[in-house]
Amino acid sequence: MDDALVRAGRALRLALLIALAALFLIPFYLLVRNGLASEAEITAPDWTLFPRDPHWSNVRELFADPDVPMAHALLNSSLIAVATTAGTLLLASLAGYGLARIPYRHANAVFYAIVGTLMVPAAVTFVPSFVLVSSLGWVSSLRGLIVPTLFSAFACFVFRQYFLGFPRELEDAAQVDGLGYWRTFWRVVVPNSRPVFAAVGTIVFIGAWNAFLWPLVIGQGRDSWTVQVALSTFTTAQTVNLHELFLAAAVSILPLLVVFLFLQRYIVAGVERSGIDD
Amino acid sequence: MSAPGGERRRQRNRTFWFWTFVGPFVAGLALFTYVPLAWSVYLSFFDAHNTVSPTDFVGFGNYTAMLGDPAFRSSLLTFTVFTAFIVPATYALSLGLALAVNRLRFAQAFFRSVFFLPAACSYVVAAMVWKMSVFNGVRFGLANTVLGWFGAEPVAWLAATDPPWYWLVIITVRLWLQAGFYMLLFLAGLQRIPVRLYEAAALDGARPGWQTFRHITFPALRTTSVAVVLLLVVGAFQAFDEFYNLLSGARGYPPYARPPLVHLYYTALGQGQDLGLGSAGAVILALIILVVTVVQARWSGLGRREEY
Amino acid sequence: MPINRRTLMAGAAGLALTGGLATACGTNTGRGGGGSGRPRLSQWYHQYGEAGTRQAVGRYAAAYKDADVRVEWRPGNYEQQSSAALLTDSGPDVLEVSGPTLDQIHSGQIVDLTDVIADVKGDFGQAVLAPKTYDGRVWGVPQLVDTQVLYYRKSLLQAAGVRPPRTLDELVDAAGRLTTAKVKGLFLGNDGGAGVLGGTPLHAAGLSLVTDEGAVGFDDPAAARTLGTLHRLYADKSLLLGAPTDWADPSAFVQGLTAMQWSGLWALPQIKRAHGEDFGVLPFPPDGPAGRPAVPVGAWSAAVSARSGHRDAARAFVKWLWVERTDLQEDFALSYGFHIPARTSLAARADRLRNGPAAEIVRFTTDHGFPAQPLLWTPPSQTTYQDALNRIIKGGADPATELKSAVRKAEAELRRMRKGS
Repeated sequence: MDDALVRAGRALRLALLIALAALFLIPFYLLVRNGLASEAEITAPDWTLFPRDPHWSNVRELFADPDVPMAHALLNSSLIAVATTAGTLLLASLAGYGLARIPYRHANAVFYAIVGTLMVPAAVTFVPSFVLVSSLGWVSSLRGLIVPTLFSAFACFVFRQYFLGFPRELEDAAQVDGLGYWRTFWRVVVPNSRPVFAAVGTIVFIGAWNAFLWPLVIGQGRDSWTVQVALSTFTTAQTVNLHELFLAAAVSILPLLVVFLFLQRYIVAGVERSGIDD
Repeated sequence: MSAPGGERRRQRNRTFWFWTFVGPFVAGLALFTYVPLAWSVYLSFFDAHNTVSPTDFVGFGNYTAMLGDPAFRSSLLTFTVFTAFIVPATYALSLGLALAVNRLRFAQAFFRSVFFLPAACSYVVAAMVWKMSVFNGVRFGLANTVLGWFGAEPVAWLAATDPPWYWLVIITVRLWLQAGFYMLLFLAGLQRIPVRLYEAAALDGARPGWQTFRHITFPALRTTSVAVVLLLVVGAFQAFDEFYNLLSGARGYPPYARPPLVHLYYTALGQGQDLGLGSAGAVILALIILVVTVVQARWSGLGRREEY
Repeated sequence: MPINRRTLMAGAAGLALTGGLATACGTNTGRGGGGSGRPRLSQWYHQYGEAGTRQAVGRYAAAYKDADVRVEWRPGNYEQQSSAALLTDSGPDVLEVSGPTLDQIHSGQIVDLTDVIADVKGDFGQAVLAPKTYDGRVWGVPQLVDTQVLYYRKSLLQAAGVRPPRTLDELVDAAGRLTTAKVKGLFLGNDGGAGVLGGTPLHAAGLSLVTDEGAVGFDDPAAARTLGTLHRLYADKSLLLGAPTDWADPSAFVQGLTAMQWSGLWALPQIKRAHGEDFGVLPFPPDGPAGRPAVPVGAWSAAVSARSGHRDAARAFVKWLWVERTDLQEDFALSYGFHIPARTSLAARADRLRNGPAAEIVRFTTDHGFPAQPLLWTPPSQTTYQDALNRIIKGGADPATELKSAVRKAEAELRRMRKGS
């Protein structure tokens, strides 16, 4: 009796989860469905579950569009996202480790000064940032697109919390071996922290890939368009190119899905150890 | 060994290494965040229309103008209410997902992935799907099709102010985008709870289910909860992207569901370029977030463990 | 521990790669001289949706001999980008503006173009040139003219026994009678019309946003009456709301979701393809005793940045393209999208504007055109007014009270403008 109840409860929970999962997947389905439909089918009053004959030619059309260098934009986004992720991981992990482990009188003050910047909405300092970067002569350069975004207080915060909880015995052993902070960090701490690097890396990568306003304003010239900028070109003051918009949106998410599915095992372990919850 | 000279040398040595590790990051942050921030604060004391090097000092004029603007005050109020709703809602959904997924014996990775995938979507893409496909106002929109099965009239979701259906659109898109990320944080927290706690509770006669959750799981998740709530509150007050992408048209933004940042965008920082006024509004907003965060951190003990 | 070394090496290699690329891709702001001795100019356009426009403006730039002109095609929110860029030295030399705004003129961000346009000043319509003129000086050379009209399906009106509306009351009435379970009567945009209509209903009532003397133009009971009428459209449920595309896109009208739609001239070719002869065009219908048909007119114009290093070269280029080369101006307006050339002489002789609805629309703009964006109408005034209009149309708010706050804001802005001059 009790057993049956438990089993029924478990089945109910599973059914609920499956229903929720289906709900969560609907938007992805819509992206693909509309991306492969004809322009008229998207706004047509008679809804079809899937386009009667999927317009696979939309894919070719998207990559051959003379006004939108989609392939080049994908390349740009990959380059920027990879460079941003690598740079952020390097800078933030070093800083996080220093804050967590190296005794220094003003370490806490420095830490609060870093975390405090999380409270300031980035949209607000946008114009001064733009003027600053432009006065450095970095407009329309990869430098301008990447360097100003490398200093992520969020990433630094996560790393610091993680390193606070890092087992001290491992480091102590290294110190006994005569390794200084620098070599301890690279030889002991980094190899044992792959999960947190995977977790922070994924989140930074997603952020860099999806960034819009900064790449749009700094990257003047079609050669420096990123995927998000390319996406925005399908909506203009006069018309909206719906099927290319949806298809391009689907294409723009694809690389992220691959990255995530590949790293997700590490991420879960990483968040667990990051101590972000402490 | 413990001669004062050696101690001082060691201390100098540590200071050197501290700045070797932290210095590059802090230098970048100072240049690319603190300089623009200080510049914004400076601008907020000037009449700075279309200029970043203003000469017309107005003292606190921009601040009194901003605080005297009923639209800005009402956007702050709306967003306090919004925060009071979206924070518990996201919290409950992501915790619920984490609990359910955590107990699965199979396909755990599948469900985890499905719920996290939306986090990879940009706000622009999500808003587009919501606006054009799920919640468009004509009878063949997805939501209206479902309503049609029950014989209900189609609803113009984003344009409907009475009742304010647009909140449903905004809240669902935010939940969809964010629940997975916070679910992940909770999952991590759950996996850290020692099994022996549950064993002990079972010995004490606690029934699995609500009682166990109430007395073991929930208290053990306290620290995770604190971090999640903090991030949610900061996020809710800084909301901009999904609102802008869902509700703005080619000619502006409706006078409802206007977060503080959207208000600043339309009155000062977009085409208007009243940079002094906009910066003043931003400073006010940042101060509010700061106060809320500090109070919350004090109250929940986030600040603990700052010692070595 | 080989792994850490590898990690380190990979990290270092990654950094080197970034650094190398960054140096390799030096800045390209379009500034500075080329080797040839011709000045290099950067010219900005907002992204036009019509295929071929981008290539066309590239051709125009390439045809210019006295400077090396690089075209920047800007997607996304153009106003925000251009106003940010005007604050820096890496912005454009020549740029398209929908204004210019009075703040841009006051703060010296753009250059006086009065003598550039002097020879042909009489060839522009008053509604087009007035918003580019301040204190008798001209700050932008109009490139093309856009306008909006009411499109209606003749067959649907006939079937419902409704004649094309000639007053606002008739429009409200027609929209109600045209509304069925499947088709709505009228589409004024997904927000119910506050955004796209702007000052149009005021002009239909014989009023305006800002008077020629620089005072608030709608501090009048007639304004409240007219705007209040618009609420009936919403209350009757005759308005299409929440369509997948907005008013600027003809999809809703083409797909038969609505019997009438307020949209741009640019939508005409698409509508014609879909409905053939089965559609007509009207100006916004008049309302009240002082009423008159209203047709909003807006023009993108070419301006020169005051921060340009080659101001004279930039002015010379603007003069060459937007004053002298009438062939290119006509090509720009009519070969890709569907706009009216800014010059009245060109509009009068353009083949595609000679007959049918297009000819009617050109006539509307000459007879009833008014500047959609007066120079003294600032973004804060616009936001406050539009909020009021939105609350009147959709919330059924009391028009008189709502308008009072809009009048107050507009007056404050006008005062600020007078002080700034």
